[in-house]
Amino acid sequence: MNEMPPEHMNPSGAEGGRKLSRQERLVNKVRLHLAMTVREIFEEVEKDELRPKAMAYFDDIFRKFMHNGEGVIKAAEDQKVIGTYCVFVPEEIVYAAGGYPVRLCAGAHDTSEIGEDFLPDVACPMVKSEMGFASMPILDFYQRCDMVALPASCHWKLKMGEMLEPFDDVHMLDVPRVKESEKARDYWLEEVKRFQKRVEKITGRKIRRKALRDAIRRIQRAQREVVRFQELRKHNPAPILGRDALEVLNAYFYDEVNDWTDALATLNDELEERIAQGIHVAPPRAARIMLTGSPMVFPNWKVPFVIEDLGGILVCDEFCTSQRYLSDMVSVDEGTMGDMLMAIAERYVLPCACPTFSNTIERRDRIARLVDEYQVEGVIYHVLKGCHPFDIELKIIEKLLQEKGVPMLKIETDYSPEDVEQLRTRIEAFQETLKGRN
Amino acid sequence: MNVQRIRLVVQFISFVVLIYGGLFAIDLGNRLPTFACSYVPDHGGGCFLVGFQHMLSRPLPEFLGEQGIRLLKALGIAALWAIVINKAWCGWICPIGLLQDLLTRLRTWLSIDMSRFSWVARKRYKSVKYILLALLVLIPLGIGNGLISRDWTAPYCQLCPARPLLPLFRGDTTQFAINFFSLPTMALTGGAIVLVGLMFTTSFVKRRFLCSYCPMLAFLSLFDKVGLFSLKKDGSKCTRCGNCYRACPMEIREIEEEKGLKNLVTQDCILCLRCVEACPENRALEAQFAGFSFLKADAEAFLARQEAATGGKAAATKRRKK
Repeated sequence: MNEMPPEHMNPSGAEGGRKLSRQERLVNKVRLHLAMTVREIFEEVEKDELRPKAMAYFDDIFRKFMHNGEGVIKAAEDQKVIGTYCVFVPEEIVYAAGGYPVRLCAGAHDTSEIGEDFLPDVACPMVKSEMGFASMPILDFYQRCDMVALPASCHWKLKMGEMLEPFDDVHMLDVPRVKESEKARDYWLEEVKRFQKRVEKITGRKIRRKALRDAIRRIQRAQREVVRFQELRKHNPAPILGRDALEVLNAYFYDEVNDWTDALATLNDELEERIAQGIHVAPPRAARIMLTGSPMVFPNWKVPFVIEDLGGILVCDEFCTSQRYLSDMVSVDEGTMGDMLMAIAERYVLPCACPTFSNTIERRDRIARLVDEYQVEGVIYHVLKGCHPFDIELKIIEKLLQEKGVPMLKIETDYSPEDVEQLRTRIEAFQETLKGRN
Repeated sequence: MNVQRIRLVVQFISFVVLIYGGLFAIDLGNRLPTFACSYVPDHGGGCFLVGFQHMLSRPLPEFLGEQGIRLLKALGIAALWAIVINKAWCGWICPIGLLQDLLTRLRTWLSIDMSRFSWVARKRYKSVKYILLALLVLIPLGIGNGLISRDWTAPYCQLCPARPLLPLFRGDTTQFAINFFSLPTMALTGGAIVLVGLMFTTSFVKRRFLCSYCPMLAFLSLFDKVGLFSLKKDGSKCTRCGNCYRACPMEIREIEEEKGLKNLVTQDCILCLRCVEACPENRALEAQFAGFSFLKADAEAFLARQEAATGGKAAATKRRKK
């Protein structure tokens, strides 16, 4: 890769003779570090000669992180941008009101250090990283948001709303924790309607039945392509690396949904051709690994890189930032406004396997299903330091996998690159034991 | 494959056969466990409840003889129909079911939102149909044994909304009237007219309102376990997304709620198969006939159906033309 960080990212200080403030110097430093991290990732990625050509589209989105994230989102000049966190914000409503949704869940190490100004050290790096991006002009789309919608999912997110208030227009969404009860469902539907009113106010456009239907269809079209993508990923030997698949699904955060769907369709066509021609990215005997636990967001891709550098193949994941984000679908039944809103509300909560809900049955069954469908041989359970919900469920999932006879490795880490070597040793040992089993 | 469209066609054909069949010399007998009203001139098939109520209106000792055999024979034929077609009678054949479904289509076309009973209310009213079924047996027996006035004869025909309504399709308006002969006949036939009114009005609020209280549904539900049609659920594939419950016109929550439920033909199920079509998880729901699986939940098919439901077909062709 020959792209260099732009000149103005010089962290050393003077620019046009004016002395930079401490804050500006810090911003420049973080931008530079982020650009370096992104460059390193793509230098590594480009060594892979078997990479599908259609990945270039998704690479372009993330390469823009080197240049303040300009052009990452495709919102028109006068279009309102709604930032979202977690998997509970109904994007259909944002699109239907003429807004542009962008998911702000973040994975950068340097901004997570800034986040420590707001949060305790033990807070999870994702929330810290998000606070860093929100409070400083590092990536432009964080500053571009006209409103951010924040679901009260885990405790960190619950309290993050107030912390974000100096920087953003925050709309909290109250997600019911015990989703089985009738009142909880009614309440959540009201929350979705409240969100709808708020978005309508911001964009100045009232959501009509047809607009909502069109928005649902746009996202369903994307999901249909994801179904196809995942079916292709089930193929053994694998036609695409797991880290590339993570990148594709992560790009959905930022990209316009129709463009993203078309790009994924192109990739799917290519993968189909590859399978027909017998091209694969991992040998048939590569250990088939699944990732679960705390989410991974670009550029925090150290774990998938280590797994696949060591000869394993990441066949699927259960992350809310990736596969789980797009797997559940809105089901339009009668097509009336009330029916569609209820369908949207239910899609985001009822089948969701987020550990912030009281029961774990959805997640247990989902993991069991993934293990079977993707012929998973080993599971890596990723816990971000401070991510309590996923840590709490660890034992339950461990027991489930034990019963299924699938080995599991827990890794606890954060966004810092320091422990990569240590992770490598542990993951290598784990993958060795998997080989030994065959 | 759009099952709901096929179902509508089957419902139409059944309607024509049951109401006008006699004109084409079709006779399916008078033992059908569905609201194929015998008061319709030249009907192609008749409801078994008419004869059943008359047969029951006898003094008890008579059942030990020939009358008992006649009754058993009638019941046996109805039971056989119930086993072979079980709840598909309600979802695919019943004329009153078709009329309610058409009114529901009119409601959604007018984009009027549906409403559902609260979970508690739904549970509370579940027993009504069984109470009605019990009365269906007890009242005729009471008449036959001199305990109840003859004015109550065939009470369920007098009360049934199909009696005033269905003959209208043959131009016969005589049944659409209140019988002022006595207080019981007034109450029963008046009730039938009220039920017709309720059917029309409630259809703009709820789906299949009358069915929840139908004694015929209660009768058919006795054969749920042995019926040839079955709905299977694989709980391990279910994500409890609630699509099936939302699609269910009978508001059966168990489909979604219970992961361990194997046979989904529960007491209120009318086998409309909307749940299977609304299910996005591969093979989580499966409809079978005599063990042969003819419809499975399928993610790809679900999304294709959804594309049609959200008006996507036109948009898709437009894209292709570009």
